[in-house]
Amino acid sequence: MSLIEIDHVSVTFRAKGREVRAVEDVSFSVDEGESFGLVGESGSGKSTILRAICGMAPVTAGTIRIGGKALPSPRGSGFATQVQMVFQDPYASLHPRHTIDRTLSEPLAIHGLRDSDARVVQALQDVGLPPGFRFRYPHQLSGGQRQRVAIARALMLQPRILLLDEPTSALDASVQAEVLNLLSRLREERGLTFLMVSHDLAVIDHMCDRILVMQHGRAVEQMRREDLAQARMTTPYARSLFDASADRMLG
Amino acid sequence: MTLLDVRNLRVTFDTETGPVEAVRGVSFSLGRERLGIVGESGSGKTMTGRAVLRLIRPPGRIEADAMLFDGQDLMRASDREMRALRGKRIGMVMQDPKYSLNPVMTVGDQLTEGLRRRDGLGRRDAEAKALAALEAVQIRDPQRVMEAFPHELSGGMGQRVMIAMMLIPEPDLLIADEPTSALDVTVQAEVLSILDRLVRERGMGLIFISHDLRLVARFCDRVLVMYKGKVVEELEARHLLEAKHPYTRGLLDCLPRIGGPRGPLPALDRSGAWAQ
Repeated sequence: MSLIEIDHVSVTFRAKGREVRAVEDVSFSVDEGESFGLVGESGSGKSTILRAICGMAPVTAGTIRIGGKALPSPRGSGFATQVQMVFQDPYASLHPRHTIDRTLSEPLAIHGLRDSDARVVQALQDVGLPPGFRFRYPHQLSGGQRQRVAIARALMLQPRILLLDEPTSALDASVQAEVLNLLSRLREERGLTFLMVSHDLAVIDHMCDRILVMQHGRAVEQMRREDLAQARMTTPYARSLFDASADRMLG
Repeated sequence: MTLLDVRNLRVTFDTETGPVEAVRGVSFSLGRERLGIVGESGSGKTMTGRAVLRLIRPPGRIEADAMLFDGQDLMRASDREMRALRGKRIGMVMQDPKYSLNPVMTVGDQLTEGLRRRDGLGRRDAEAKALAALEAVQIRDPQRVMEAFPHELSGGMGQRVMIAMMLIPEPDLLIADEPTSALDVTVQAEVLSILDRLVRERGMGLIFISHDLRLVARFCDRVLVMYKGKVVEELEARHLLEAKHPYTRGLLDCLPRIGGPRGPLPALDRSGAWAQ
């Protein structure tokens, strides 16, 4: 059974009296343990879908279901223990005046979980950071280290689903490789389900089993990883994204 | 013909914990060609580009044995002489349109400011030139963009506005610092072809600073690979993928590939003597 179901979902923002249709009638489903990728240009609505799942974007039509149940609005604390998000920019997504310890123990405090000392130390270890980082501030860490902290924070409540919004696009290639390896390892160890957004087809291809190409808020084409590798896309837009992808150009 | 010749360039910042050398003895020369500078963040590639224009504020220091642009030694040029070169003969496209455009001026005012002040053009002529520049960078609705403020533009539009602004004075040398990293792949291809046309048709020299090796391999003629303020390897761009240096190899190998293997990506090994 599908763990995440996006069923004819539309998201419409109202700005300055006019309507902006960020997502229009998009449907897909993600199986338990699967890694699903959303690709498209900026403004294609791919990040908006992640935000809609979290209740951070106005869903104007359709239903989002997790584990077969429609999500309540507002999402409630049960949602946070199932679904967590890792954001694009590790410079903006950590509180600049909170220590790493405070950032990581906050979800534990909110959910009344004990043993926060041991859990924080364990969480740092799980993402490959030394325990000494616990009392540092974000500005004392590099971009890659910050993103590891953001991943650790997302895993504090042991969710089943991680929503990854361009988790490596702000990082150098060498650091990107380390973070992608970390995500793959964590998914394997914990049986996580990933819904990942990226504009980089090569990253999506490396991480995901199935891919949905989006443009202007609409789903253009869904394909399997093998179809992408063999260039078996059927729509001209998916083909143009594929052709413009940097590593294709080198032949 | 050599347009720019840089010998033993050093950029130093004094910090509380002692001097930090951001650029440590970089030498290169540039003709009317596309020179790529690649490296990770902190490798000194941006500082190298800024040092050519002497855009490093004190207490940062620039030292070089020589920095000759078209026969003129930039290290000895007065501030007034540098001002005459900046923009007019050496242009620079900065990385992020969000921070590099004036947020409280319309695009049109920013584009025409230089034309009116420097070249003394009238409003009408300056506007016509600015519109033409926007059209040259493939902006579809230039009239609307002229009246817009930077926050009303997307990242890709802002980037193209900055490129248009730098191209209006027709510089001999353009330093482009990650000009396409904020852009989608399809827009990126457009911007690159604009730059490419300028190099070929106008004989402009281009220093293209980027962290993206594949992009540089495709687009440039020659590439400098920088690490920790030093050039570790210089090679023809078309041979970049056969690079021998362990750092360059490491940067290439850690990139995922469409249809590539699913196993862990190789991490960059920084234990070699080159990394010191």
